[in-house]
Amino acid sequence: MTRLVEVPVQFDDRSFDQFAAAYAQAADGERVLFDAHAAEWASPYGLVGLLAAGEAAGRRERPLLTVPANTEVVSYWARAGFFREAADLFEIHGKVPRTKPATESEVLLPVTPVRAAEDVHAVVSTIQQRASAILAKELGLDPKATMGFAMALSEACQNIVEHAGAGGWVAVQAYNWRRKLARRVVVIAVADAGVGFRHSLEPSQAKRFGDRWGDAAALEAALIQGTSRFRDPGRGQGLAGIRRYLARWEGKVAIRSGTARIAIVPRWDDDVPLRDGLPAFPGSQVLLIIPEQGSAQA
Amino acid sequence: MIQHIKVHEVLQQSVAGFYADLVTRPTGRAVRESIERALPAGTIAVMDFTGVGCLDYSCADEIVAKLVREKVRVLLLRGTSDAHRDAIEPVLLGHGLAAVCERPDGTLHVIGAREPAAALLDELVAQQVAARTPGGAIALTAA
Repeated sequence: MTRLVEVPVQFDDRSFDQFAAAYAQAADGERVLFDAHAAEWASPYGLVGLLAAGEAAGRRERPLLTVPANTEVVSYWARAGFFREAADLFEIHGKVPRTKPATESEVLLPVTPVRAAEDVHAVVSTIQQRASAILAKELGLDPKATMGFAMALSEACQNIVEHAGAGGWVAVQAYNWRRKLARRVVVIAVADAGVGFRHSLEPSQAKRFGDRWGDAAALEAALIQGTSRFRDPGRGQGLAGIRRYLARWEGKVAIRSGTARIAIVPRWDDDVPLRDGLPAFPGSQVLLIIPEQGSAQA
Repeated sequence: MIQHIKVHEVLQQSVAGFYADLVTRPTGRAVRESIERALPAGTIAVMDFTGVGCLDYSCADEIVAKLVREKVRVLLLRGTSDAHRDAIEPVLLGHGLAAVCERPDGTLHVIGAREPAAALLDELVAQQVAARTPGGAIALTAA
């Protein structure tokens, strides 16, 4: 039997729970068909999240993927590097253009696999070459902020290598965020279908939280308290560093893992700091948003 | 005697691939282990970051914090950018440690935890490695 999972028309962090709810319905033994034919737009978060879903579903049986019907959309997904990765995970239905991942300015980093420390090096090297001009000229960030951006990206990717127990993907794009801000943003999205924060931190943190222990408590421990599964006191600083960097540039960080989602919400956003009881989704999905500086709206 | 460490060179020698960035724990560990092999315990060391691109928290912790905590008496950081110090300082603070930083004009200041910081410059002066300048700052007497 095949389970249909619709990819939202506008696929981003806001519609991700709708996608996760459909995905969570799939039972063991069911093949999953991810239907993206109606998709009109996907953020980097949507694209790497879809790959994570494909990887998780593929542990049962290779899932199917129907590509967007809109040729411009499918072309953009191709230029964003999505299909290069999707080809290994899905049985793809629909015409996919033979396009190399983009060198256009919006795609600062096409969808890129992260499996080992070497991948993080490659990501950091690439982003420094490409992001500097965008961050300084289009977002009004101090040119020195590029290094901090690379550092935040490195730490976000290392969460996969160190904690996920599986590979994942990262993508970085710059675009106009009309709906929310009416200004440009740079978005880093990182997703994996690994063990998630709760499983990673359980041996060291579950006792401390007692009955409260769960996905939400694990996210709180990691992002707010800076705890790590390692006893080494130097561990757990990566997410704290990301928070510091984003606070300096009025940025946002949100992490979804299992059935919970935590966010550090800047004043321009109306997101909820902590949500629990969401539809279960494997691994972890990290979203970092850095807005254009100067004209922040409350 | 002051030991000199050129971090970019150690990075090139320690890790396969031509990396300019000090990122990831495994890279940091490899670089620190290379440094440790050539560094006598309890020494005063100058660590030169010239040529190093991005330094993340993981590497700052693996290299700088662990050397300060376990290997050297005083660690002096040279050739650091604002971004390097942004990574190093919180890591040192997290461990309650401090290191000496050399400004481009050669004068020294301390970053990290307040308590050990006060003693570091005194130690350098006492060892005659550093001295007060006419302007009242402290600078190395011999690089």
